[in-house]
Amino acid sequence: MVPLMLKLPAPAFKGTPKDIPLSTFVEPLSDKPRAPMMVPAGLSNLAKGTKMTCSDKNATADALAKLTDGDKEASEESIIYLRKGTQWVQVDLGSPQEIFAIALWHAHNSAKVYHAVIVQASDDQDFIQNVKTIFNNDQENKSGHGVGTDREYFETHEGKLIDAKGIKTRYLRFYSKGSTESALNEYTEIEVYGRPAK
Amino acid sequence: MALALRLPGLNLRPMHNDEAVNAIKFGQLWDHGGYRYDPNEHHGPTLIYATAAWARLTGAPDFGKISEARLRWVTVLFGIGLVLLLPLVSDALGRTGTLWAAVFTAVSPAFIFYSRYFIHEVLLVFFTFLALAAGWRYWRTRRLGWALLAGAALGLMDATKETFVITLAAAAGGLAMNQVWNRLLDASGPPVKAERLKAWHAAAAVGVWLVVAVLLFSSFLTNPAGPLDSFRTYLPWLNRAEGNSPHVHGWGFYWERLLYFHPGKGPVWTEALIFGLAMVGTVAGFRRQRLAGANASLVRFLAFYTLALSVFYSSLAYKTPWCLLSFWHGAILLAGVGAGVILCGLRHAWHKAVVCVLLLVGTVHLGWQAWAENTTYAADQRNPYAYAQTSADILNLVSKVEALATVTGQPDQVLIKVMAPDQDYWPLPWYLRAFHNVGWWDHVAQEPYAPIMIVSASLHAGLDEKRTHLMVRYFQLRPKVFFELYVEKKLWTDWLARQPPASSSE
Repeated sequence: MVPLMLKLPAPAFKGTPKDIPLSTFVEPLSDKPRAPMMVPAGLSNLAKGTKMTCSDKNATADALAKLTDGDKEASEESIIYLRKGTQWVQVDLGSPQEIFAIALWHAHNSAKVYHAVIVQASDDQDFIQNVKTIFNNDQENKSGHGVGTDREYFETHEGKLIDAKGIKTRYLRFYSKGSTESALNEYTEIEVYGRPAK
Repeated sequence: MALALRLPGLNLRPMHNDEAVNAIKFGQLWDHGGYRYDPNEHHGPTLIYATAAWARLTGAPDFGKISEARLRWVTVLFGIGLVLLLPLVSDALGRTGTLWAAVFTAVSPAFIFYSRYFIHEVLLVFFTFLALAAGWRYWRTRRLGWALLAGAALGLMDATKETFVITLAAAAGGLAMNQVWNRLLDASGPPVKAERLKAWHAAAAVGVWLVVAVLLFSSFLTNPAGPLDSFRTYLPWLNRAEGNSPHVHGWGFYWERLLYFHPGKGPVWTEALIFGLAMVGTVAGFRRQRLAGANASLVRFLAFYTLALSVFYSSLAYKTPWCLLSFWHGAILLAGVGAGVILCGLRHAWHKAVVCVLLLVGTVHLGWQAWAENTTYAADQRNPYAYAQTSADILNLVSKVEALATVTGQPDQVLIKVMAPDQDYWPLPWYLRAFHNVGWWDHVAQEPYAPIMIVSASLHAGLDEKRTHLMVRYFQLRPKVFFELYVEKKLWTDWLARQPPASSSE
């Protein structure tokens, strides 16, 4: 046996690439419309106006309230910034709810991808017991919540729509660990579509 | 001061597309002894040969082990050279003017940023200044040696970048306009005891120019087509100059960057101090008053030359920000004169002291901007001189590929396939230069699968659909340009198994 020697194409030289000026307009990276998610009728956004907490002690209650105020714009006023490293924000729905869909906007003020995005549900506000993972694209297990199998995605004005499959929970926690653009963590809006658990 | 602002953190900013292209071209020369001038792109050979000389002088290792800093040292040295050449024109700018021109050359953020940038621009400005300074010395002395040096500098300009013809045209225009001004409006007269110009001196200078250019373009007489290609190059470049290029910008493109640049949150960037003082120097040159030892005729020439150059560059549709160095250097020389004019025009010592302090405060502000542009904002879109800059995230991609390759046991032999439309994968050829099995495609390869695949997100390749590979992460090449990193499933799980247990998040 001998190693197979492959003849590979060499890199072709390229001139100065186009410069993209700084702007808040993000062109869609795909022209394919997002497939609609089918959910039971009569759901509402349960996150609106709920109590929010987070891992960054510098974030004030007023700042966190922006995450459920319905403002999903890409402006500076709509986005809150959390420190570097793995950070989370947590939604308290007040009582157990049946969740079918979650929409999440980190920041769509420029084309970027958030890393180690994890969404977990629990009846324990400290997320120690009975923790269920709804979404996890932390394929390197950087945040220590297990190796994720979901794909990373681009931030767009559409937000990330996650199928929660009717999970019953009171608390939801949203993790992230910086983006392709910055080590900081941005959050713009969280919507949770569901109904009271039977 | 020039060194202190140019040297720290030379490895910090990720390699730009153009720097990487120049680096790979140098690598081909360094490792394989081959360089061939390409008339379609990538400018002349001086940068590559100067780098080879520097590498030999400093005992550089194989190309795979050469760092960004070692390459960028070359342009740093030419940037420093602009300060060191100033004594040649001290009798033209005046002693005070020369001193302040040295200070502004040392701290100008544009000059510092592009002195740390492995492209041709600072070399062009250096050889231009060498030609002007040698020309000035020849004008003053009529010694053949200065004429020959000016000729050599012209040859080096020619072999550096095609835009040297713009500089030549601006210098010729500046000379002509200055002659008209001298004869018709304000005859300051030729230098005292000046001899007539000797035609054979000029012919010898042109001869040296041609010899230098032919030697370099022909790769030291190994590429006979090179000298002819140095003329053919103007066809594609004229095409670009007319606007057939992704670098078409408005007339204010350069001035916005130099005088007031403030996109989004971040500092206001400005070199308006230099511009303002250049205006003072220009006015003094035309009025021939309080010139503080500067030569009025030379100052007027510099003003005409700088104006012509800036108008020419601003009116061309094709613009990249480093092109501004050519005319901004003229402005810096005039600013030195301007500072001298102001200081020497003041009678009282304390007035001079106050102005000196103000100039120093302005200098510190310029120096601070330069520092910020080369550290915090080195790869930031809010930096006026970072243009189509590679994002810092690309270094994360390189680290990840290196870590994955280590798992295979033969890191430099791992098969890596890179796919991106329009060859938009630079500077990766530089960063992956130590790997021996890297293939490059401008589309999704017919047989795309490999242990590691780096694929432009714009190709929507979906190479994880068969579940044999995972798309483990997106990486940003430049703003709005992304790569997907695909890894063979087994390689990924092997890599994961070697990672220390992740601590649960805070």
